[in-house]
Amino acid sequence: MSFREKTAWVSVITMSAIYGVYFWTAVHGAAHDGSLHVGGLLQAIVALVAAQVVLITAAAIAAPRDAKAPRDERDRLIELRATRVAYAGLASSVAFACFFGAFDPPIVFNVNALLFILVASEVLRSAYQIIQYRRGA
Amino acid sequence: MVPEVGAIRNEIRRLRFEHGEMTQQQLADRIHLTRQTVNAIEQGKYSPSLEAAFRIAAVFGEPLESVFRYTEGE
Repeated sequence: MSFREKTAWVSVITMSAIYGVYFWTAVHGAAHDGSLHVGGLLQAIVALVAAQVVLITAAAIAAPRDAKAPRDERDRLIELRATRVAYAGLASSVAFACFFGAFDPPIVFNVNALLFILVASEVLRSAYQIIQYRRGA
Repeated sequence: MVPEVGAIRNEIRRLRFEHGEMTQQQLADRIHLTRQTVNAIEQGKYSPSLEAAFRIAAVFGEPLESVFRYTEGE
């Protein structure tokens, strides 16, 4: 498995796990009173950065040669394809969110919905990269 | 009816063998690609850019058409 694929796996796993907990808490937890759970969001961001730094550093130590190698043309093509797919998901989801925004939901709902869309798009981008690396494309 | 797209086949595996059993990593280092990309090219899963194709052919000292061959679809 290439270093690029490993970093895509790290992105998918850490974002799904950490933001999964955040959104679960936001929907079911203490933030149900309508206020934005800022502390939880900051905790999620710090945990995400820490987890990614640790895991990517570990992957780089395990395969230093791969980690030092710059992206080649196939890596860049895979990244572009994944970004195109994720952008389509992002754009359509934002349009959907704007439509529901017209019904004047609480601001905290809008903020969390947009954050969820951003996270989902990033997870989709990394997941699509993994699929292409697995296929060998 | 949509005609089938052809495929690009290559002789990289044979040429590596004939050039002192060169490894994919050695070839990758010489053409500035990753080993995984060389493997994908060799298996026909990824078509390299024209520039990369020329670099591969240059490593083996062969003309491009001896390394890569386009096969028409049915």
